[in-house]
Amino acid sequence: MFLINCPYCGERDQQEFKAGGEAHIERPKQPTELSDDEWAEYLFMRKNIKGVQFERWNHAHGCRKWFNMARDTSNDEIKAIYKMGEKPPTQ
Amino acid sequence: MLNYKTATNEEINYNGIVVKEISPTMKLNLRGKKREFFTNIGKNLNMLLPTEANTSTISDKFTAIWLSPDEWMIVTNDEVKKDTNEYQLNEILFNDISKSSLGAIIDVTDQFVQLEIIGKNIYEIFSAGSPFNFSEFKDKKGSSVQTILNHIDVIVHNKGDQIVNLFVRRSFAQHLWSWINDSASRL
Repeated sequence: MFLINCPYCGERDQQEFKAGGEAHIERPKQPTELSDDEWAEYLFMRKNIKGVQFERWNHAHGCRKWFNMARDTSNDEIKAIYKMGEKPPTQ
Repeated sequence: MLNYKTATNEEINYNGIVVKEISPTMKLNLRGKKREFFTNIGKNLNMLLPTEANTSTISDKFTAIWLSPDEWMIVTNDEVKKDTNEYQLNEILFNDISKSSLGAIIDVTDQFVQLEIIGKNIYEIFSAGSPFNFSEFKDKKGSSVQTILNHIDVIVHNKGDQIVNLFVRRSFAQHLWSWINDSASRL
């Protein structure tokens, strides 16, 4: 159990949130020009690294807003929280 | 249209905790971001929508509860008359806001059940089933929060003087009622 600082509501328990996977994945501008492998790479392949990862989270049981989080996957330490559309913080 | 079927018929009264359903009250969900949306709402309701997170504003007729940066819930302070099937405000706001694409007005009167909980041990019950820290909330009249209570999504509004209004989805109301009843009996 850990606390997440929602950029809109303030500090809340993790139970109120849903993880939404890796952040900052850009949809290819011309999907029809991609090979099947390149399309599969965009659609399915995720980094899942041990260390700081940029993720999308949703305050599902609160304000229902999406936001981004930089989280260390090895110890669940939250390095930064920033709103959708903002650039990820430099490490 | 208002649904006059109450979710619960009884009243909980245990160990200084009194719980009863407040029905029927009009509840509207408002969504909007534009400047015109705020001026229009202000003009029609004669009140300002709260912009600070987890707060509410109150006028003589309505309470506006903050739900998210672009979402609010308007609740009537008094029960509406049972012989009135339509609430005029809903129609006015729908025409002024939804139809002119300034925002969205949704009638959630039937969706939410409003429970009034009175007593000094309210937060003892809440802390047994909710991960939210109520320590600041309980001292601040007018504060509101959307959180989980016994795994059920609820909106809690502190009316002050040990009175709390709780809004729960109708389909979950009976279950939450039973849980509060059970919890209150064990205080």
